[in-house]
Amino acid sequence: MFRDTTFNDLGRTDALAGVSTEFVMDEEAFRGFYERNARGLWAYLARVTGNREQADDLLQETFYRFLRAASTYESESHRRNSLYRIATNLAHDARRQSLVRAPVISAGNDIENVSTGDQAGATERSADVTRALSSLKPRERAMLWLAYAEGASHDEIAGALGIRVASLKPMLFRARRKMAALLGRKPDGGKS
Amino acid sequence: MKPLECEFEAEVLGAVLQSRWPEHVDDQLRVHAACCAICSEVASVARAFDGSLEELRASAQVPDASRVWWQAQLRARREAIETAGRPITAVQLVAFACAVGLLGACFGATSTWFQATLKRISSNTAGFDVAAFLTAVSTMFVEHGALVIGLVAVVLLVPTAVYVALARD
Repeated sequence: MFRDTTFNDLGRTDALAGVSTEFVMDEEAFRGFYERNARGLWAYLARVTGNREQADDLLQETFYRFLRAASTYESESHRRNSLYRIATNLAHDARRQSLVRAPVISAGNDIENVSTGDQAGATERSADVTRALSSLKPRERAMLWLAYAEGASHDEIAGALGIRVASLKPMLFRARRKMAALLGRKPDGGKS
Repeated sequence: MKPLECEFEAEVLGAVLQSRWPEHVDDQLRVHAACCAICSEVASVARAFDGSLEELRASAQVPDASRVWWQAQLRARREAIETAGRPITAVQLVAFACAVGLLGACFGATSTWFQATLKRISSNTAGFDVAAFLTAVSTMFVEHGALVIGLVAVVLLVPTAVYVALARD
């Protein structure tokens, strides 16, 4: 993770100027890419991990690894897929390290903890989503969020989660059914 | 076998993501979603997520792009320096030992004076009297015990002291 920058770091940059640090894009391109994707990616990480602080850390780590990846990208969507793939892997690793299966809803860090009085209704609905998602497996949370919050295609979701498209469809179907039931709908109420 | 997908679900999802659902969509699509389990689930989940996404995006306090870029550069340089200064790895050590062994074997096989010296050492070793050596050692301990203990202590203590001093640095 990034540590806080100090004045010593500022002084050292000149001394380190000759060392090779190749990134996949220049600063201007990065700024645009970051502005377009950072908030959405943070929301994804917050939903998958259930923890704001962890989402903050993983966001920066994700962008750093993206910049350092020795890859060439054909398009914006290719870059975005790669970014989400890195984020998914980092969230998975973080979960394995902490041995926590369900999202951590700890005081001060839970993702509904910043609302004001005006946002009470929206916060309550968001809390319902959090509760429902916490009953699902991490991979189910990730695929549902990508599909129905980000509007990602099956190819993109499969790419981000590292699974085959053919395997994704039934998994997504089951996860959506579970989620709909958890949100209070009767999923068997209608016919396809 | 139950179908996993509906041909209209993408349309329903698009309407929710564009905030057109349910008021600003075709009546036919709304009627279909009401009786289609897949489309009604898609609408239900996507609407729940849509509100949550907006709230999360609004409350997200992501760092400035310039700061992230600059810190990434700093970290990359630090890592590059660490990589450059990293001590040789175990694999490199094994490779070095193999190379030295190979050179030694070539030298031993080709050098005549080395082979002659080796033969002389082996003939001396064959005549080595273990009992006499042990007797000499025990005599030395009895006569110069304090000196031997001092020497052993120095041999053990000096490297330890050097190690501790370097470790502190």
